[in-house]
Amino acid sequence: MNTSFQAPVKRALGMAAICASLALTLPTAMAGDGTAPRGGKIAYVATEMYWSVYQTPDGKAECPNGLQKYGPREVFATLYPKGGPEADTHLRREALKFFPEDSNDKFPIPEAVGPIAIGLNLDGKVGPRDFTSPTGEKGIDNQLYRLIGCSPQFRAPEGQFRLFANRLLFQQNWNRTIIELTGVDSLVNDDEVVVNILRGKDPLMTDATGDTFVAGGTQRVDTRFAKRFERQLKGKIVDGVLITEPADVIWPLSVFFGSPSEYWFRGMRLQLKLSKTHAKGLLASYADIDTFYRTVTTWSTHHLAYGQLDPSGFYKKLKELADGYPDENGRMTAISSSIDLTMTQVYLDRGGEPAAIVQSR
Amino acid sequence: MKKIVLGLLAGTMLLGSNHVLAAPGSSARERSGASPQEDYVRVPMPPGFQVVVTELEGPVFADANGKTLYKWPYQMLRGGYVGDEKGKSACTNVVTKTSEGLFSPYPPGLILPDLENRPSCVDMWPPVLADENAKPVGDWTIITRPDGKKQWAYDGQAVYTSVLDRERGDVLGGTNREKLTQMAGRYPVQPPPNVPPGFRIVTTFNGRLLVNSDGFSVYASKNDGPDKSNCDAKCQQLWKPIPAPAVAQPFGEWSIVERAPGVRQWAFRKQPLYTYARDINLYSQEGSDVPGWYNVYTQRTKPIPSAFQLVDTQKGVVVADSRGKAVYAYICSDDSFDQLSCDYPGAPPVWRITVCGGGDVDRCLKTWPYVVADANARSESSLWSVIEIEPRSGRLAKPGEPGALRVWAYRGSPVYTYEGDEPGLVRGDMFGEYYAERNGFKALWVRDDFFKSET
Repeated sequence: MNTSFQAPVKRALGMAAICASLALTLPTAMAGDGTAPRGGKIAYVATEMYWSVYQTPDGKAECPNGLQKYGPREVFATLYPKGGPEADTHLRREALKFFPEDSNDKFPIPEAVGPIAIGLNLDGKVGPRDFTSPTGEKGIDNQLYRLIGCSPQFRAPEGQFRLFANRLLFQQNWNRTIIELTGVDSLVNDDEVVVNILRGKDPLMTDATGDTFVAGGTQRVDTRFAKRFERQLKGKIVDGVLITEPADVIWPLSVFFGSPSEYWFRGMRLQLKLSKTHAKGLLASYADIDTFYRTVTTWSTHHLAYGQLDPSGFYKKLKELADGYPDENGRMTAISSSIDLTMTQVYLDRGGEPAAIVQSR
Repeated sequence: MKKIVLGLLAGTMLLGSNHVLAAPGSSARERSGASPQEDYVRVPMPPGFQVVVTELEGPVFADANGKTLYKWPYQMLRGGYVGDEKGKSACTNVVTKTSEGLFSPYPPGLILPDLENRPSCVDMWPPVLADENAKPVGDWTIITRPDGKKQWAYDGQAVYTSVLDRERGDVLGGTNREKLTQMAGRYPVQPPPNVPPGFRIVTTFNGRLLVNSDGFSVYASKNDGPDKSNCDAKCQQLWKPIPAPAVAQPFGEWSIVERAPGVRQWAFRKQPLYTYARDINLYSQEGSDVPGWYNVYTQRTKPIPSAFQLVDTQKGVVVADSRGKAVYAYICSDDSFDQLSCDYPGAPPVWRITVCGGGDVDRCLKTWPYVVADANARSESSLWSVIEIEPRSGRLAKPGEPGALRVWAYRGSPVYTYEGDEPGLVRGDMFGEYYAERNGFKALWVRDDFFKSET
C-alpha cells in the first residue's frame, strides 16, 4: 500500500540507508564522541613542509641588520673581481660546498633575533637563548631560526628553498611521508595512540587547480625500500591536537629530481591539529646538521645563489649555533628547529586486490 | 704546440688501448651469440657505413671502421646554448682557452685547466667527413663545416666519432642512458627501432627496455602461451592488453593475438604484451614484482661480474661491491664552449679532485675509493673491465708503473664507493656540482622506483 504517509517514510528510510552507507565509506564513523576514525585508524600524507620562519611585514624586528647579502655570486665577485684560473676560482668555491670545514671565509651572516620564534620547547626548560612562541609560550627551542630567519632562501613568500622545495615535495614521490594513527578512539581526546611513519609511492591528489591537496586520496605503502624510514611513535590527542613523544626519525626529503636526500630528526615530536581531512601544525626536532646541510646544498649553487646562501658560510654558522646531541668530543651535532607541517588525509593500500583500476594506459 | 697536444692525446688513447685488461668475453662489445638482439629498420646509409648492435645501446650507426657515430644536439644550459644546430657544426679545431659561463652562477672567461695539453673539440670528436663526390642518401645529408670541409649528418645533425672508442662496438663517448648522460653531452646515433607505432625502446642498465609511446613499461606473463593470452577479465583489471589496430599486420618479431573477434593484441617474440595499471613511474619495473610477470627487453645486457651484487636501498636497486656498498660512476663535462668530457682516464683530474677531495688527492682517495679488482677478476659483459691506473691522477698506468692499481671500470672509466655509505645506503648519489649532472658521482642504478625507473 502506498499512502501519502508511507511515501515520505520510505524516502526518509532511503535517505537513512544512503547516509549509513556513506558513513561506511568516509574516514570517520560514529563511535564514542563521534570522531573516531573507522577501525580506529586514520592516515595523513605530508603535503606542505616549510622550515618555520617567524616574519614581520618589513622584517626589521627579526632582522635589524637586514637580510643575508653574501651569496655565491656576491662572494665570487668579491674574492675574484678579475676572474682567474677555473681551478682556483669556480672549482675552489665548489670544493668548499662539499668540504665546508676548509673555508676561511668571513663574510657576515646576519642572525635573526627574538624574542619571537615558531617551534616547541624541546628540552622542557626556559633558557637564555630560547624564544617565545607567537602565542606566548616560553622556552621555544629553535636555534636554526637564527640562521635561516634572515636568509632570503628560506623566507616567505619567494625563498627558493621554501618555494621550490615545497613544490618538489609535491612533485616527487620520494617525499611521500605518511603518518598512520592507530588505536584512535577519538580525534579530540585520546590518551594513547600509536603513530606509524610510512612512505607512500603515489602522486598526491589535488583539486582541478592542481595546487590544492584534497583528502581521500590513496597511497600505496612502500613495503620494500622504505624500511629505513619506518618508525612507530607513541602519542596522545589532547583537545584535537596530536602530540607525540620524542623519537629519532629519518625523513626522506628530496629537493631536486633524483637526489635521495633525507633529514635526520633527533628527538622529533609532532604537534598537529587533527581533523578528518588534515593534520596541521609543527614538526620540531634537533635536526642533524650534516644531513640538513647536505639536503640544503643538494640544491645547486645556481639555485642557492638566488637566495644568497653561500654554502660554506652557512655550514660554519650552522655548527656555531648547533645546540643538541653532543658527540664524544662535546661538539654539538644537531640544532633545534621547527617545521610548519601540513598533512592531508589519505587511505592506505598495502597491496592485495586492487580497490579499483587506477588508470588505463 | 699543436703537434705536442695531439701527440699526448694519441699517447693517452694508445695507452688506454694497451692497458685495458680484457677479461674473457670483454672484447665482444658487439652483441653476438644465442641471446636475442634488437632488430632495427634497415635505412639507406652512405657507402661504408654500417650498424653495429652494441651491448648497452643496442643498434648504433658506425663508420666503415666500426666506430660508433655520435651527435651533439643543440641544448640549453643556464647561461646559453651549446651544441650543433641542425645543418651546422660548432665543433672546430680551435682549442678553447676560457670558460663559457654556461654554468650559473660562475662567470665566463675563467682560464680552463691544463691548457698546455687541452685538446680541441675536433681532437676529441673527429667529424665524419664526406667525400667531395658524396651524395645525400635517405636521412643522411652533407653539411659544410666552418673550415669548408664536408661532413655527414643524420637527420640534420652533424655526426662524429669519439677518440675514446677503441674497438668496434665501443660506445664510450656518450650514452643514451639518461641516468649517465653528461650535461650537454654527445649521444650515439641509432637507426629507427623496428617496432610498431605506439612502442619505443629505452636504454637501461638491464638492457633495451620496451615501453609504450608514453614511456610506460611493457610486460609479458609466464602464464601466457606462444601468441596466446590467458589473461582473463579479473587479470585485465591490472594488466591492460596492448591493442593492435584493425589495420595492423604482423611483421618480423611482432605478431597479433586475437583475444576475441576483432579484439587484437600485440605480441613480441610470441609474448602477448600488456601495460600494468598500477605503474605510476615511467620505465617502471614494479610490475615485475608480481609473480609470473616480467618486463620485456629487446635485448639484455650480460650479467654483472661476480665481484658485484645488487642490493636494495632506500631509492631502489643499485649495483654494490662485495661488501654491499653502492657503486658509483663519475660524470663530468667542462664549462667550455666545446663541453668536453672530463671523466675518462687521462682527463685532467682537477674536476674530480674538487668534488671527491676538495682539492686534496689523499682525501679524495679516502672519501671516494676506487673499487679494486682482484687477480681473478673476470667479466662476461663488455661494459665491465679491469684497468690499471695511476691512482692519484686517475690516468691509465704505463706498463710496469710502480704504484699502479687494478680497478674495476664500467664503460671504460673507474667505479667508486663512497666513504659515507653503509650497505644499503646511497648517500653519495648525485654528489657533485649541479646534482652531479656537471661534475660528480652517480650511483649505478638498476632500478629506481621514485625518480623514473629508467636506469
